[in-house]
Amino acid sequence: MAMCTCCDCLLVAQVIGNKWDTYLDLLQADYSEGDALDALALVRYCCRRMLMTHVDLIEKLLNYNTLERNENANN
Amino acid sequence: MATSDDEEPKLPAHLELQRTRVVCAADAPSYTESVQYSGAYMAYGVDNSLRLEDFRKNHRVDIVSLNEEDIEFDIVGIDAAIANAFRRILIAEVPTMAIEKVYIANNTSVIQDEVLAHRLGLLPIKADPRLFDYKSEEENANEKNTIVFKLDVVCTRKGERIMNGSVKSDQMKWLPEGSEMPFHTKSKFTSYGSTQENLAGISSEGITIMYPDIIVAKLRPGQAIELEGHATKGIGKTHAKWSPVATARYRMLPEVNLMEEIQGKLAEELVQKCPVGVFDIEDVGSVKKAKVARPRNCTLCRECVRGDGWDKRVQLSRVKNHFIFTIESTGALRPEILFTEAIKILNEKCQRILTEISF
Repeated sequence: MAMCTCCDCLLVAQVIGNKWDTYLDLLQADYSEGDALDALALVRYCCRRMLMTHVDLIEKLLNYNTLERNENANN
Repeated sequence: MATSDDEEPKLPAHLELQRTRVVCAADAPSYTESVQYSGAYMAYGVDNSLRLEDFRKNHRVDIVSLNEEDIEFDIVGIDAAIANAFRRILIAEVPTMAIEKVYIANNTSVIQDEVLAHRLGLLPIKADPRLFDYKSEEENANEKNTIVFKLDVVCTRKGERIMNGSVKSDQMKWLPEGSEMPFHTKSKFTSYGSTQENLAGISSEGITIMYPDIIVAKLRPGQAIELEGHATKGIGKTHAKWSPVATARYRMLPEVNLMEEIQGKLAEELVQKCPVGVFDIEDVGSVKKAKVARPRNCTLCRECVRGDGWDKRVQLSRVKNHFIFTIESTGALRPEILFTEAIKILNEKCQRILTEISF
């Protein structure tokens, strides 16, 4: 499972690493998943599933930031 | 006056169909193989041998659409084996540059070193691979075989805002003078004779990552990444990161024939059946007649030949020597250049065989 969005579609190597943020913005703007993916010009279902099924787990891990705690403790 | 002897003998229609078309019936396609043997139609006096002259006469390339990244073109007069050779060479054997070695000085992000290195490898680099040489394991890295990128980011908190919260690919900085690592020593990982900026063919913008906004990593305050990525030339056969295409694919030209006049209710039904709009209705006087308007759209779903009697009315086939080729480049080279590179590689392979088999 990928923590961060994959750089490329796993099947055809289409670059998708720059599309995740735009995808989230489109969903925020009340696009349906399908319309958002169309707007990003993802035609193939292999590329579409890369974004559709992605869970950005890195956001969960980023909550446990020991470095900042140390920094604050030192101050 | 020309006598009948002067004319090239022709194959009967049903054999010509089998030779040049794949016929797609409702249950299965037939005549899928190509007839290679020169004497296959000897009984009809037809010579089936492959001739360079015929190839020159029949071969044709028409570009349908072309932009920076995609090309679609028709290539006519070649065998499926040749078309497939081009496809496979495009995917696996046309070289590009990609990050192969990553020297990490510091990585306190939540992404592990090896995962980060893998992500960096996949970034498409906007550099013409034809300007560079392959680098063997023994060879030293020099300006002709290695491109160096540096990534040095620290995430900090400025009031409410987090700086460098997500590391984007435009933060990878090209080092035209070569590696700066290892620090504090005189001998570096690369030994450049001259700066890469002076290399012939390098554009004024220099070498960059193809897309500026690919997310490389995400950081929280206090986390930092400091590394160098060394890109070398390679081919997709070794690792998919070197593949220059997102996809390279072809399909044979679809051909849709109406075997009889289809009128009225049936015509409307036919237009309804097709999900991609191959058929149109033509008004001839007061009669509504079906016609084949956009055969190129046909995906061969075979919906139009399903159902009672429809396989008698519509014949679907594909032209065996007409290929609709599509190439999607990931950015290093323009798609039309990729195809010419593929031709050069196939040519090279043929030359190699010729020298191997000649004494």
